[in-house]
Amino acid sequence: MILVLLTETLIASLVVAALLAERPASLAATGLAGATGLVAVGLVPALRAALGRAFARHRATALTGGAFAALLLPYFLRGSPYWTFVATMALMYVTIGQGLNLQIGTAGVINLAGAAFAGLGGYTVGLLTTAAGCPSWLALLAGPWVAVVLGALLFVPILKTRGHYLALVTIAFVFIFNTLMNNLEFTGGPQGIKNIPTLRILGHAFTTPPTVLGVRLPAHANFYFLALLMAALTTWTVRRLHDSWLGLALNTLRDDEIAARCCGVSVTQGKLVAFSIGNFFIGLGGSFYALMVGFVSPPDFDFGYSLVMLSVIIIGGVDSIAGVVLGACLLVPLPERFRVLHEYRLLLYGVVIVLTLLYRPRGLWPVSVRRYR
Amino acid sequence: MLGVMYALIAVGFTLFFGVLDVIHFSHGDIFMLGAFAGLTALAGLGAAGLGAPAVALALAFAGSILVVGLLGVLAERMCVRPLARSSPLMTLLATLSLGLVIREAVLIFYPRGADPKPFPQLLPAGGFELGGVAIRYENLAILAIALLAMVTVDLLINHTRMGAAIRAVAQDPEAAQMMGVNLDGTVDLTFFIGSGLAAIAGILSGLYYSEIHFVMGVSGGVIGFSAAAIGGLGNVYGAILGGLLFGMVQTLSAALIPRGSEFRDVVAFAVVMLFLIVRPSGILGEKRVERV
Repeated sequence: MILVLLTETLIASLVVAALLAERPASLAATGLAGATGLVAVGLVPALRAALGRAFARHRATALTGGAFAALLLPYFLRGSPYWTFVATMALMYVTIGQGLNLQIGTAGVINLAGAAFAGLGGYTVGLLTTAAGCPSWLALLAGPWVAVVLGALLFVPILKTRGHYLALVTIAFVFIFNTLMNNLEFTGGPQGIKNIPTLRILGHAFTTPPTVLGVRLPAHANFYFLALLMAALTTWTVRRLHDSWLGLALNTLRDDEIAARCCGVSVTQGKLVAFSIGNFFIGLGGSFYALMVGFVSPPDFDFGYSLVMLSVIIIGGVDSIAGVVLGACLLVPLPERFRVLHEYRLLLYGVVIVLTLLYRPRGLWPVSVRRYR
Repeated sequence: MLGVMYALIAVGFTLFFGVLDVIHFSHGDIFMLGAFAGLTALAGLGAAGLGAPAVALALAFAGSILVVGLLGVLAERMCVRPLARSSPLMTLLATLSLGLVIREAVLIFYPRGADPKPFPQLLPAGGFELGGVAIRYENLAILAIALLAMVTVDLLINHTRMGAAIRAVAQDPEAAQMMGVNLDGTVDLTFFIGSGLAAIAGILSGLYYSEIHFVMGVSGGVIGFSAAAIGGLGNVYGAILGGLLFGMVQTLSAALIPRGSEFRDVVAFAVVMLFLIVRPSGILGEKRVERV
């Protein structure tokens, strides 16, 4: 138990140090410390086995410790609103990634329209709050449903086409969405929708810095806690789905449609259910984004973001729920961390993804084989 | 007019799919590289004082095809082939990321890469009228060059030993290898031809719009892929047909629908989606038998 808590404390402090390191020297030091840890675990089998056993035995402790660390993170980042914002974005990508992973990883329904579904959520929030005067909380709940309902437009292509053709259909969907948002009048065209009212709890607006237990945190901490709740609920739901008969059925139809059909799995139902549930979470992420930044515009939801979402699940490990969390927490902050490299960072981002695919094709945290006891 | 450019890109997609069963998503950016290579060659020739537009253009085409074709082979060796046996999702993401790398590389390393670059006008200006339709020499020249490229590729594939090897690999790589076809060489060759065609399309696009930009590969790639899919992946004539159709739908919707030029991509992509619903494997169909 002590080993578990010790490891988690170490990881958490490394993360905080890595985020807050300003000078290249301190950044290099934390990077080196992290790399040493990873290499030590990788090269010493005894250590790895001990850690694995400890984490398996004290699951509850490990989860509580992790939750505790996540809750404390804004306290350590209180000096830097910017990094609080980045951490919030990472949690938003956890939510989106879980939705997309259910579609692509678990059910094998290739969806490159993630940005469009997030955009549908975001634009719904924008339109409902600014044009219809609807309360922000209600809009946050409505956004995902719009993504689900409009996702039904793709039901027929999903059932009819597969593989590369399905990829193309979803790419076409993003392009159509983007062109429409850019050119329609009521969505504000290229300007997008501005001044989306923020969330409030009991009169406390989310744009004012909260004071928790006597400590004043940056304003983004409000959204951080909400995003944490959202990501945790999403991950828990997806985890339950993945472990249930539905997850098993989806895995079967992903691996072999005809065999699944022969075993009585409804391919039609499975694909559509997975696609809709996935879109719900992607739309939820998009709605949250709109409320957090206060405006939406077409470039926020262009095809490139579909790729970022896809990279999150591939880097983490396709179909791996823990992998999505890891992928989002690595891929979102890392490019920001390397803002020093500024113009080269997208280039490096592409190179990193290609290298991961070539040398670690199952992801950083591959999905484990299902075990039933 | 747009159609022939799309067709040239689509032929590349379809050829690659034929030999390796992969979609090479960075092909759009290879197309963009073609335009930039052509521009660089033209600038170099201009500085060297080779004035005659026809000579300069021919040299630019040759240089661009050579350089971009080799880069295409490099991309295939590094990024596509190692992943060809893993899931399609992997190749998809790898080539999409490679496209990002190519785009960013041009943005950063090409002098003032972020700005749209003016492309020199080397084709004869002017035109004539035929039955009330204005026809410009420039467009005729583009059409002629594209047709020439397509006919050359058709001859290459259908009437040479090399072409026979490509067709054999497309049908069954293992059987082709047993018949003494050099698999690696053939795949390289296919990527050279496909990327060379994209280079031609790139220069043509520069001549047509008289401007090139580092992001032109994104839409170029997606449209080329759409065209190849409409025609049926793996089928060269299908790809040409698909490219022409896509161009036609775009032009028609720009002309017939009010504010159509803004929404032409919406219409064109909606047509692609509907089309794939009705004919999930394209006009000319993809050869495929499902085995259990």
